[in-house]
Amino acid sequence: MNNNATVFVVDDDLAMRNSLKWLIETVGIKVETYASAEDFIKSYYPGRAGCLLLDVRMPGMSGLELQEYFNEQGIKIPVIIITGHGDVPMSVRAMKAGAVDFIEKPFNDELLLESIRNALDLDQDQRSIQAERAEIAARLAQLTPREHEVMEMVTNGKANKEIASSLGVSAKTVEAHRARVMEKMEAASLAGLVKMVIAANLYGDH
Amino acid sequence: MSVIIGVFCGLVVWAMLDQVQPQALRSIFLEELENRLNQQARETLIRFDNYVLAHTSTARLLANHRQLANYLEPIYWYKGDPDQPKYYRSTPPWLPSSTLWQSLVRPSHILLLDSDQRTREIYQLGERNLPVELEGTNELLLSERRVQASLTTLGDRPYLLISETAEDATGTEMGSLMLVAPIDEQFLAASQQGVSPNGVLVGILDADEQRFLASSDPSRLGFQKYLPEVEANYSVTAQSFSEYDGSTLNLQFATLVPHTVVEEIRDRVAGLERRQRLVAAFTFVSVFTLVFYLLSERLNRILRRVSRFSQRALGSKQPVIERGNQLFVLEDWIHQFIQLVRETREEMRQQHETEMHESEMLKQAIMETALDSIITIDRQGVIIEFNPTAEQTLGHSRDQALGKVFVELIFNQQNQPQFLRLMDDVLSSRDQHPDEMRHEMTAIKRGGAAFPVELAIKPIRLKNRLAFTIYMHDISNRRRIELEIRSLAKFASESPNPILRVNRRGVIIYANNASEQLLGYWGCERAQTLPLYWCNRVSDILRSGRDWQSQVTNNEQVFSLLLTPVVDLGYVNIYGRDITVELEAERQAREHQQELIHVSRLSTMGEMATGLAHELNQPLSAIANYANGSVRRLQASGRESDDILYALGQISAQADRAGEIIKRLRALVGKQAPVRRVADINDVIREVCSFVEFEARKTGVEIEQQLSLNALTTKIDVVQIEQVLLNLLRNALDALLEIPEDERSLVIQSQCNEGGQVLIQVLDSGTGIKEKDQARLFEPFFTTKESGMGMGLVISRTIIEDHNGSISAQTRAEGGTCFSVLLPSDRKNDEQ
Repeated sequence: MNNNATVFVVDDDLAMRNSLKWLIETVGIKVETYASAEDFIKSYYPGRAGCLLLDVRMPGMSGLELQEYFNEQGIKIPVIIITGHGDVPMSVRAMKAGAVDFIEKPFNDELLLESIRNALDLDQDQRSIQAERAEIAARLAQLTPREHEVMEMVTNGKANKEIASSLGVSAKTVEAHRARVMEKMEAASLAGLVKMVIAANLYGDH
Repeated sequence: MSVIIGVFCGLVVWAMLDQVQPQALRSIFLEELENRLNQQARETLIRFDNYVLAHTSTARLLANHRQLANYLEPIYWYKGDPDQPKYYRSTPPWLPSSTLWQSLVRPSHILLLDSDQRTREIYQLGERNLPVELEGTNELLLSERRVQASLTTLGDRPYLLISETAEDATGTEMGSLMLVAPIDEQFLAASQQGVSPNGVLVGILDADEQRFLASSDPSRLGFQKYLPEVEANYSVTAQSFSEYDGSTLNLQFATLVPHTVVEEIRDRVAGLERRQRLVAAFTFVSVFTLVFYLLSERLNRILRRVSRFSQRALGSKQPVIERGNQLFVLEDWIHQFIQLVRETREEMRQQHETEMHESEMLKQAIMETALDSIITIDRQGVIIEFNPTAEQTLGHSRDQALGKVFVELIFNQQNQPQFLRLMDDVLSSRDQHPDEMRHEMTAIKRGGAAFPVELAIKPIRLKNRLAFTIYMHDISNRRRIELEIRSLAKFASESPNPILRVNRRGVIIYANNASEQLLGYWGCERAQTLPLYWCNRVSDILRSGRDWQSQVTNNEQVFSLLLTPVVDLGYVNIYGRDITVELEAERQAREHQQELIHVSRLSTMGEMATGLAHELNQPLSAIANYANGSVRRLQASGRESDDILYALGQISAQADRAGEIIKRLRALVGKQAPVRRVADINDVIREVCSFVEFEARKTGVEIEQQLSLNALTTKIDVVQIEQVLLNLLRNALDALLEIPEDERSLVIQSQCNEGGQVLIQVLDSGTGIKEKDQARLFEPFFTTKESGMGMGLVISRTIIEDHNGSISAQTRAEGGTCFSVLLPSDRKNDEQ
């Protein structure tokens, strides 16, 4: 768990905000409280680790609207919905929009804290994948076009000779390119290289 | 009078006939007499001739007899013989036996003469001597050789001489045989063979000397009597002998009829005639009298009639009746009468002319103003009259139309035969019903446009010709109206709703196609009778004259029926309406209404509860959070104090409990479809009491449940009834807050009342309802509570009434309020 991870509580009720802060801080997690979705959007910047604890029913921008806003912006932050109405249709909408959990008021503290921990873990995972992908992308950027060609063929399981004949170069040249690719990509083995390419393809097409 | 005239006339006729008739009769009689005398004379002469002829025949027989011929054979008479003739007294040998003379008078002598006419032998039959002229040579006969029979007078006596040639056996002529018969009374009487009626005599008359030589009865008519003497007593008719002119004597055959006989006949005739005349006169008198009597009677009658007629028909102008001769009176009358009749006839003629003129004018006016086209045609179909309406309707002017053939002018080719057939029909059937004479046809206007007409043909049988009046009525409008009426009439048949008509006895006279379902419900067909219940309804409706509505269900289809009487005709019209869909819609509307009630409940109590829950949840959650956070901090700090941790745990638990209460509240107002189901009202009450238990306890009241031992089943929407009861209990609890705690009591009762309904009563010991509030109790937004919305009772009443129940509030005599809810029991529901 990242120590920088913060739980952002958005609730129009002051007592609710403060009591949540009081409760969550007991387990050593940073808590920031906002009285409205608008306040939160103003202060939040993408890339901050943490999760969002969101009351569905609020004056002004509602929790659902905030979710939609994040989806539009491509901001990936785990959202836990707090509902006081047992409003099942609303909760279903929230879940569909990407909320990781919803909790009914009044809530059991254990359930809430467990849910927050899961959300923060998910956030961290998302962040690490994001970071890895960025690293691979940076490495891929170092490759020359010819090296990129060779890498694709290699990862597609082609032998050096085949690559050489298709590119119209000698096998030795191919081997040299291949060695440079392995070096630039910091790949220990062919399997590692393939993993990287897959990861890059998985997350890099956005 | 008439008798006298009759008798007089009879006498005149008698006298006249008396003057005229005898003379005529006499001349006729004389003429007749002469004829008769002549005839008698001829008859007597013929008999005489026949008699002579018989003698002649006898002579011929004797002359040619074989005995004579045999006798003469040896004899030869010499001329010079001076011998006296041979004389026989008895029958000579040359004669046969004397049986010859049976019917004849015997001649006096039979002579044999030689060829020189000299008498040779004589046979004398009687005493009479032979006349001397016949002795010797009969000179008399010489000159008349050829004469066979002749009359002559010998010695003043008339004789008949018959000679016949005699021959001997050798055929030599010897001489002749002669019969000499004197014509005396014997001969004459024999010649008439005893036929002598009425004393008629015959005689031989010497015409020169006018004397009679012989007669059939010498006693009455003597010998040698002269004619004038005889004619004094007899009518004499003399005739000449034509055949016996043997002598130079002028002898005549006379027939004498005595005058006495003639006179007798004449008298008889005269008597007969007189009798006849008498009869004629009498007949005449009686006939004349009768005729006259009848005539006068008739005249009298005519007079009376004329008098009556003139009185009656011609008014006061009565002919003056004068006493006197009836005929003159009659003549007078007739003159007067004729005059009167003339005057009257003139008057009538004038009147008739005026009337004719008026009638003509009237007819003309009718013709001109008639709404129908009136066209008159003759037997050949040529138009002879054409009225202005016809001009207008058909577009032909009168001048154009006259003289044209009607059929060709008015009809096209297809319709012409129909009209001609019609004409034939009209001609063949004399008396037609007016309706039968109407026919619908299609006529053609001048421009060629066709239009429907109604047509009637009326034959007019004038004195010497036949004409037809044709009435034509343009029925285009009527056709259109008929079509419209027909299409209107089709409304009923086209109606998707059942429409029926029944008569007084409940027989279905008409039912449109949409009525099948209803007919099926009644189990009857068209023209059949409705079931008894409905028949009774029909007669009730007709009697009252008022509409009646009803509703029937057949195979899940519900019909609303409106029965309307048509009193004048004795019918009842039944208008049905399939209200199945409407009922369904109504039911849906009711559901919708329930939905609305529910929504309104949500928006009042529910919404309030939800809002409350939310509002309560916030502080509850905060409490729980703080408590939990405090526990964790204490645990983390290690300075934990058990009693504080217990208290914090209690805080958290109570917050959870509060949350649970809120959840239950929410469940109560949760969205549920209003479903009616059979439920025991006692269960419902128990449930509701558990809801308010908390509040009641808070108020310091124990809700006392006085429920019936038996289950009270009703068909209800449980949630809605719960809401109502909840509302009532809460109101009661609110009311109890206003009084001291030890006086508070709340009772809820359930029972089945006399009407079989379920009665629920909520009784509190509060202050009751103020008099002024009583009326407004169930008005919306009327409340006595500071925090109330004033909707609770309104919603409650809506719900209860929706269940066909009622709700009311009374102030209890011992203080407080009683709310009563009446609901129909389940059993009752079934019946409905």
